Amino acid sequence: MHHAFKLEDQEYNLELSRAPAGYRLHLADAMLPVNLHLEDDGSAVLTVQGRSERVLVATRGDDVFIHLGGVAYQLRYEHPLQRLAAQSQGSAADHVRAPMPGSLVALHAKPGQAVARGETLLVMESMKMETTIAAPRDGVVEVVHFAVGQTFDRDALLLEMKNVD
Amino acid sequence: MNSIPHPEILRAARKRAANWPFRSVLIANRGEIAVRILRTVQSLGLEGVVVYHAADRKAPAVSVADRAIEITGTTPVAAYLDAKQILAAAKASGAGAIHPGYGFLSENAGFARAVADAGLSFVGPTPEQIELMGDKVRARAFVAKGGFPVAPSAIEDDDPATFAERALKLPFPLLIKPAAGGGGKGMRIVRDAAQLGGEIERARSEGQRYFGDGRLYVERYIENPRHIEVQVLGDAHGKVVHLFERECSVQRRFQKIVEETPSPALDAELRQRICETAAGIARSAGYRNAGTVEFIFGQGGEFYFLEMNTRLQVEHPVTEMITGKDLVLEQLRLAAGEPLGYAQEQVTSQGHAIEFRIYAEDPSRGYTPTTGPVLKLRAPEGAGIRVDSGIVEGQDVTAAFDPMLAKLIVGGKDRTEAIARADWALADYALLGCVTNTAFLRRLLNHQAFVDGQVHTGFLDEHPEIAAQPALDPATLHRLLAGAALVTRPMRDAADLVPDLHAAIGAWSN
Repeated sequence: MHHAFKLEDQEYNLELSRAPAGYRLHLADAMLPVNLHLEDDGSAVLTVQGRSERVLVATRGDDVFIHLGGVAYQLRYEHPLQRLAAQSQGSAADHVRAPMPGSLVALHAKPGQAVARGETLLVMESMKMETTIAAPRDGVVEVVHFAVGQTFDRDALLLEMKNVD
Repeated sequence: MNSIPHPEILRAARKRAANWPFRSVLIANRGEIAVRILRTVQSLGLEGVVVYHAADRKAPAVSVADRAIEITGTTPVAAYLDAKQILAAAKASGAGAIHPGYGFLSENAGFARAVADAGLSFVGPTPEQIELMGDKVRARAFVAKGGFPVAPSAIEDDDPATFAERALKLPFPLLIKPAAGGGGKGMRIVRDAAQLGGEIERARSEGQRYFGDGRLYVERYIENPRHIEVQVLGDAHGKVVHLFERECSVQRRFQKIVEETPSPALDAELRQRICETAAGIARSAGYRNAGTVEFIFGQGGEFYFLEMNTRLQVEHPVTEMITGKDLVLEQLRLAAGEPLGYAQEQVTSQGHAIEFRIYAEDPSRGYTPTTGPVLKLRAPEGAGIRVDSGIVEGQDVTAAFDPMLAKLIVGGKDRTEAIARADWALADYALLGCVTNTAFLRRLLNHQAFVDGQVHTGFLDEHPEIAAQPALDPATLHRLLAGAALVTRPMRDAADLVPDLHAAIGAWSN
């Protein structure tokens, strides 16, 4: 199967094909008749195995948002090529990302500075609390992407490290 | 639900408002509360002016206001804290009064004074009252002096040299609080005497950073307490009434999530006692305008003064629902100098109301804030349902502001009916593009302890399963994957490219 969606950190492979009425969804363990009918009010009627219900759907880039059964979910479409590329990428330890949205309170490392694993790189603030971000490994700080006072979203790239030569 | 306030009351107030000292009100706030205040201001025939930072350009308050004036700042929050710019905007727009909402400048005595010095009406208490209640240590001392109950404590200012020593003599566990604090910032629970010194230092540095004031006090920490507060209103002629209590025990990190009234913890006698204590405290301060007296309520029914908030509260709508009073209308007419005009016995309560704060946050990740675009937004409508919202489709939820997006307020003839309505309304509230806490709120309100009214401020810590992401059942997973596949262009295109064999045969065989 070529296509996949990511939902809550799990990846699901699947395929879609035409059926006499609507489509068929091919999953690893099942094949189901499915269809989606868009309504004028922006909602949609989703039918799976003959059971229909009203849902709300929105997309943005590869993100799909669905409100179903009183709960909002987010899925991400995984492009076949990107999935291949991701498997051969380098260590994530070179990229220090924000664990949550917030703002930068203090910076303890400058580009070019050598740091040891566990050493404080920066302090961020979120939810009225301070969180210390430590170096994931020994190395040298290559780039710092934010200045004190700036705000960022979750997963924003805060700082990049490189190996000690 | 009947309209609030009663149409007759609104009509009469509208008439009188023609003679108030102000005909235009500037709202120095943003989000849902700016929209909420505008609604009453405009219903009185007054002009509603808002200030806004560019990050809020698409916010509903900006489009609802009669006038919107842009303000700037080094950060979006800094703009809303800039008293000079806000006063200049009031002057430029000809506003005669400033309503500060909650947060930002609402409890800043210097701002209230500057508003008065500029010849404008401040919709709130006097600067002196804000100062008194804003200093937690002074407020406690004032309340204790009046003969009202406060928890056993050690106050640093009494004698800084012996502070830690005096704190150690109190029964553990202890709670350290910044003297200038509020909203749970810088508060620390200490269970072990050996940790007291270190925690005092940490609390001091947080207090210094948040409030520019490192002074502290320590009080006995009441285990599994409830948080019960009482709404009060006072006029310029020394008259004070209470508008009953609100129970705000469901909290995370000292921040309220769900508030309701009446409190399930109080019987008629206790309810009257706590409400009268609050009114008594406000009366002893000669309190003007709307305020809230907060109490910590122990499992044995004992209660102690916690603090007084000298502003409109986030959770004021539940009080409006059971009393039929429009609190913003009351605030405006009191600020205009009108007398209260009714006695305590004329304030009555009917039914039950619960407020749910809809936050951009992910409870399963430690309630961390979330961000994202508001791609689709659908709010529930129906009997007993009110939504106070600060967002619209097309806006972005950013980390620049507090994560509270909207409030869902649900009323019913009793608590059971309110809970049932709330369950439906939360399921119907849909926001796509940014994770919110609505599914968590449904798990919370269906939890047996909540249904039984057996909650305390540590309830969510005690029940982490409510915040955890529930496992996805296979049927829901299939439906989600089906929906996602059907709206994803590359998948649909690939399917449509290959004509189905059965579909082709089907066309010949009917």
